[in-house]
Amino acid sequence: MLRFEREVVRSLVTSPDAHVRAEVEHYVDGALRAMPEYLRGGLVAESVTLGAWAGIRGARKPTEPEALARLLGAWEESPLGVLCMYVRLFRSLVLFAECELAPAPAS
Amino acid sequence: MTTIDTDVLVIGSGAGGAVTAFLLAQGGRDVTVVEEGPWIDPDAMEPFSLEEMVAKYRHRPAAALGSPTIAYAEGRCVGGSTEINSGLYHRLPGYLAEAWRDEFDIDEFGPDALDAYAKRIEAELAVSRLPGAPPPSSALLERGATKLGWRAVEFARVFRYDTAGRGVKQTMTRTLVPRAVDAGATVVPNCRVLRVLRRDGRAIGARCRRTEDGRVEDLDIRADHVFVCGGAIQTPAILHRSGVRGRVGAGLKVHPMIKIAARFPHPVDHGGVPMQVITEFGPNLSIGGSASRRGQVAMALAESSPDFEEALADWEHVSVYYAAIRTEGAGRVIGVPGLRAPVVTYRLTEADLSRLARGLVHLGEALLAAGATELYPSVRGGPVVRRPEGLVDWWSSVTRSRANLMTVHLTSTVRMGQARSRTGTDSFGRVWGVRNLRVNDASLLPDAPGVNPQGAIMALAARNCEQFLSEA
Repeated sequence: MLRFEREVVRSLVTSPDAHVRAEVEHYVDGALRAMPEYLRGGLVAESVTLGAWAGIRGARKPTEPEALARLLGAWEESPLGVLCMYVRLFRSLVLFAECELAPAPAS
Repeated sequence: MTTIDTDVLVIGSGAGGAVTAFLLAQGGRDVTVVEEGPWIDPDAMEPFSLEEMVAKYRHRPAAALGSPTIAYAEGRCVGGSTEINSGLYHRLPGYLAEAWRDEFDIDEFGPDALDAYAKRIEAELAVSRLPGAPPPSSALLERGATKLGWRAVEFARVFRYDTAGRGVKQTMTRTLVPRAVDAGATVVPNCRVLRVLRRDGRAIGARCRRTEDGRVEDLDIRADHVFVCGGAIQTPAILHRSGVRGRVGAGLKVHPMIKIAARFPHPVDHGGVPMQVITEFGPNLSIGGSASRRGQVAMALAESSPDFEEALADWEHVSVYYAAIRTEGAGRVIGVPGLRAPVVTYRLTEADLSRLARGLVHLGEALLAAGATELYPSVRGGPVVRRPEGLVDWWSSVTRSRANLMTVHLTSTVRMGQARSRTGTDSFGRVWGVRNLRVNDASLLPDAPGVNPQGAIMALAARNCEQFLSEA
């Protein structure tokens, strides 16, 4: 998993539990490794480009962790399919893993 | 380099491969089965869990390129996709067998012949219907259909039930794989086929790479006969890697599914997959239920709306359902030198998208009639619907850029039949141009059957095995 992809995953995980957060990261890393190369290659290109863009926008400063989350939210609502699909892919992987790994909150 | 000699090499251990291994071993042949994935105890993991996905799925997920992309799932373990599917069982519809026979000029292929093989498979797998009342998630579909005057049926499943009514899915690792081993077959897990070996126009075995406890070993398996049974994605990829092309890989067919996460005012079960299917709009459109653990519910909710947290907190009242179609469009599998996974593409036509929209609306109607209070469609920005009059907005929302589609049924990449310009094998799975090389899996089906294809694959594989044994 590339550095920017790790930051995206960290910004999408909602659990405060460090163990769950690490397990979710591990799951997403495995999912990316298991992807067919033609999909993974495209995703790497997107991650490099978007990571550079996020850096330029100042969304990756350690003091502003919410900035990346805001940027991801904007990309997810973007009319550009490639941006929206990028966020949705990571959100799906994170959501599934987090729901499977973290106990459901009492309703 | 280790070398193994065998009479018959079977590549893959799913619905096609397990039948092939079992019947040929039972018929007295020396059979070796190679499977790329591990051999996992079927009781070791909860169905549809993250653990199962990590251990038994090939990708998490993969997608066929196209507009829209279609996510797909394949098993990668001994037993193949039978280890991870819902276990719904359906014979190949008779009218399809007749249509395919005529269109692709398939010899000795018809409903009566296939039904005879299907009966044998059903006896082997204990195909049956649920004893007693269906679970709520399944009964809800029936209730919705009944209120609307639509036809719904309970599909049989490859489940064996005990006296208390508890069912266990009869996957290949619980049934035909151990029976093949009992009949003398050898199964080699964690063994990837690099290519089929050929000499003088005939298959003579396969070069494989086995990974065991971190050690990697190359293996040549010399065989008099090779059956490729890797499924509709891996089989054409193996053939391409082996230099066999022609019509191989063209004509991929899937059942694209569009989903709805439906919220009810009462809890719904989440342990299995509903066995009721609305067949009112068949054969080209069917409506049923999906796996609905908390993880799947979350993904389905998130596909339509970013504001899903409140519904997710109430996940025990939410279940996921689908509408699946047969498509006019088709796809392609292309083995690319240097890439481990083949490139998969799929093209949906405008008519297919229209059919998906119709399916989504009909599914919504059924779920509202069943008492659902909120419907989240797998359409980006698709409006959450609470009343029937809201469904009209969905007609225009199923577009190439907004629909989120997935499939688990993949067929038709090495079609069978005597019409050589449109098929990859003859009527019995013999690959054109390479002697002693056969295909015996979902790839052979000329089209997607509109129902779970496992029954059709297994009956077809049994038919082809009988033909093979009669030749010897």
